[in-house]
Amino acid sequence: MIAVIRGAVRRKADKWLFQLRDVEPGEVFLNQRRVFILPTGPGIGFGVLLLVLLIGATNYNLGLGFALVFALGSCAVVDMYLTYKNLGQLHLQPGRAHPLFAGEDAQFELTIINRTRLDRYALWADFIQAGQARHVTDVMAGSSTALLLSAPSERRGWLAAPRVRLATRFPLGLFGAWCYWQPDARALVYPFPEAVAPPLPMSGAPSEDGTGHAGHDDFAGIRSYQPGDSLRHMAWRQIARLDPSLGGQLVTKDFEGGAVEELMLDFDALPVTLDLELRLSRMTRWVLDAEQRALPYGFRMQGQEFAAAVGAAHQAACLRALALCNDGQRA
Amino acid sequence: MTAPAIATKGRLARLALQLPRDKADTLLLLAATLMVLGPHAAHLPLWVSLVCACTLAWRGLITFRGTRMPPAWVLLPLAVGAMAGIFATYNTLLGREAGVAMAVLLVAFKMLEMHARRDLFVVIFLCFFLLLTNFFYSQSIWMGVMMVLAIVALLSAQLTFQYSGAVPPLARRLLLGAKILGLAAPLALLLFFLFPRIQGPLWGMPGDAGSSGRTGLSENMSPGNISDLAQSDEIAFRVRFQGRAPGQAQLYWRAIVLGDFDGRNWTHERRRARRPATSLDLNGTPLDYQVTLEPHGRRWLFALDMPGSVPALPEQAALTANVELRTSDAINKRIRYDVTSFLSYKLDAKGDLPEAERWLALPRGFNPAAMQAGLDLQRESDPAKRVERVLQQFRNDGYVYTLQPPKLGPNSVDDFLYRSKAGFCEHYASAFVFLMRAADVPARVVTGYQGGERNPVDGFVAVRQSDAHAWAEIWTRNTGWIRVDPTAAVAPARLERSMARALPPGDQFDMARLGSLINLQVDGDSLIGRLRFQLSAMNNGWNQWVLNDDPERRSGMLASLLAALGNWRNLAALAAIAALIYVARAHQARRQADPFDALYSALNVQLGRLGMARAPDEGPNAWARRLAGTTLAPEKKEALLRFLQLYSAHKYADHPPDAALLTTMKRLLGSFR
Repeated sequence: MIAVIRGAVRRKADKWLFQLRDVEPGEVFLNQRRVFILPTGPGIGFGVLLLVLLIGATNYNLGLGFALVFALGSCAVVDMYLTYKNLGQLHLQPGRAHPLFAGEDAQFELTIINRTRLDRYALWADFIQAGQARHVTDVMAGSSTALLLSAPSERRGWLAAPRVRLATRFPLGLFGAWCYWQPDARALVYPFPEAVAPPLPMSGAPSEDGTGHAGHDDFAGIRSYQPGDSLRHMAWRQIARLDPSLGGQLVTKDFEGGAVEELMLDFDALPVTLDLELRLSRMTRWVLDAEQRALPYGFRMQGQEFAAAVGAAHQAACLRALALCNDGQRA
Repeated sequence: MTAPAIATKGRLARLALQLPRDKADTLLLLAATLMVLGPHAAHLPLWVSLVCACTLAWRGLITFRGTRMPPAWVLLPLAVGAMAGIFATYNTLLGREAGVAMAVLLVAFKMLEMHARRDLFVVIFLCFFLLLTNFFYSQSIWMGVMMVLAIVALLSAQLTFQYSGAVPPLARRLLLGAKILGLAAPLALLLFFLFPRIQGPLWGMPGDAGSSGRTGLSENMSPGNISDLAQSDEIAFRVRFQGRAPGQAQLYWRAIVLGDFDGRNWTHERRRARRPATSLDLNGTPLDYQVTLEPHGRRWLFALDMPGSVPALPEQAALTANVELRTSDAINKRIRYDVTSFLSYKLDAKGDLPEAERWLALPRGFNPAAMQAGLDLQRESDPAKRVERVLQQFRNDGYVYTLQPPKLGPNSVDDFLYRSKAGFCEHYASAFVFLMRAADVPARVVTGYQGGERNPVDGFVAVRQSDAHAWAEIWTRNTGWIRVDPTAAVAPARLERSMARALPPGDQFDMARLGSLINLQVDGDSLIGRLRFQLSAMNNGWNQWVLNDDPERRSGMLASLLAALGNWRNLAALAAIAALIYVARAHQARRQADPFDALYSALNVQLGRLGMARAPDEGPNAWARRLAGTTLAPEKKEALLRFLQLYSAHKYADHPPDAALLTTMKRLLGSFR
């Protein structure tokens, strides 16, 4: 109980002290109000050293000793300024995040843009919960660097990018400057595909010969490639013959006659007694299986219906519907 | 350079370039460490320097060959052995000298035991500490230069290890290190002058006396020890006179009165008996001057014959019964003090001389011939005549002034007076005082310095160790103690010029003379002489600056700074400069920005006043659509929409804008106003 209160107080205090903000859309500029700075362990050691030197210089009345102490102390102050300068005045921009399956690590692309004339070195970046930062990069003057930060995903749906901590100790390592940033980025997390799922639900009556299978469709010739065509149906032999410099195109094998069986993945047909997540998990597995075997499949779920098709776009649409099932925030 | 040498050099350069990054970094750290440790070699025992050199060389070899660091079971016995060596050398592990030696070895061994980034900081911080300990031994201008270079090297090494990806070339890193120090310099200077300093040692420094190895006058005089000093061209002290400096022959810098003679050594009185205060009448014009005294490890201050004031010093100076300036603590650092002297004085001139027997005492059984000569002198009734007789003897009987007097036996005065007849100021002073005492005239030896060289560059008079001198004082009724310089009778030039140059040419090709030849004992008029003056003035300026630690001077500086800031004209000038810089920077920023963007944001500001500012997510076209629906005057709205249309067209155009576009847009913006 006390721990809970303490945690809450601490979160509040952090929020106030470090000005933790909510999601900030678009590009973020690091002004000095956002950059925090404290001495590092070596920095505190350096302070102790300065004290020892000062006492020594006083005791032996060393004029040059005083000069050394004050020069080093001022160097530490300059280092503090330079460390701030190494982080401040940067722009941060969120990038794309590819969809993933639950349990995998989401990869968020974040771009650090340096519009100043100062090269920035040794910027450590990672999500807060990662603890020790795992990514380090340099951003030269007038350029930008993209980082791929990974965050673990636990459940399906939208995964908002966690808060990012950007830190640096350059140039002398006596001070550590850091800033927090809540990027406006999210990744779509598909349900986890069931490991051992029942075979694909082939609906419709078995054909007369009873051997009808997707793999035995009649080859009907080739046609030009359209986005979404499965890689398995590419007419590789013909593509290899075509010279791209002569306007060669990708071509796809065309099949006629179609499958003997119509494949319809119907969420609502799954037994209601099954756990919702398990049903979604099974549907995900089926979508992947059907795609892998290049079987055109229809998809039906809670009023959404996609006509039978095959290809990356179709798969993405189906998986998205599964990911956002009952999520409340369909987008 | 021969062809193979060039080839070798090329190979080395290539080798250095090809080194992987961490190796190059380690070499930089090694170089920085070497810069800090190098000056310590001057005072450390030879074996410590050798161990350090071997350790650093070992580290360099490891770096070059990429082999592993030595394991702990190799290092530990070595470190323990080194500690034992220090204990054997200094008989302690504490104290300043032993501590410095320990720290030096620690840095060297730590270089072999560097595994984590933390170790790197340890090495660099230790190096900063050792940099300070260098100043125990020297605070010369070269030390200052070395300090700046070492700080830059250490900072560069420290920041080199902070890079995580691309590492700029060495020159850029050194430049960054220098930049950090350069930016720090103004603040450091401000602190140097304004930081309140506690005077004096915080704890006693036993055994730190540091008098070992320091040249300077000793508290006794035996044949040979001043002529040793005369070989040294080191500065003893520098003097700045407030008014005109007195003539060269007047510059007797009095220090120690030697009254006790044991047949060979003249010693300063050991007894601390309370003696009646001397009577000292000072007359004539006071002479004010400031002395910057180099550390000599003893407790004497130097002042012109006769000092009339006691300098205020943390070392607590006091005037002794024999009018010597003596401090309670040894002078182990460069100090500066103000004194007033009177060239004309009467010392103990009233009545009888207290403790007259003390100034007449002679050891029994030594120097019978000189004793007899003294008794013969007593036939002369006037003491002044006795003095004149002895000086005449020195002048006319073939006495020679030389830095290399022959060895003297136990009867040193007899040997000198009647056998060798060749000696240095100490021989003449010693023999003269002996004869005077034998002739029943109270007499004593005084040592100090005579002369000095005025530096035309900064006006300081430099007194060197080679100016060390010994003369005599005799007491007669009514006149008191008066100074007699028997050396002047032999070598009158000694008073006009420096001692070494007063030597006869016969000595010129001795080995010892070679030293002073190398010391550039040349005339001040030649080019080298002028250069030497310049160098000396630079050194002195540096010393005066480093010495700027007395609170009055620094508070004076603060006051002048406040006065400068308190003046409204200066403040106004500063404000004007700041405003100019601000305007220039703003102007520069505007010029750097796209002029079309500047107009666009100007429009945004204007519309913002009307509450129609652009929403953050709006482009020019969307904004224009929204503005079209607002209630603005039609002609204004038209200008506005045209402006936004042109802006949008310009922004998305694939060709550079024509020259008229900017003026058109400015006109449109103006018409909207």
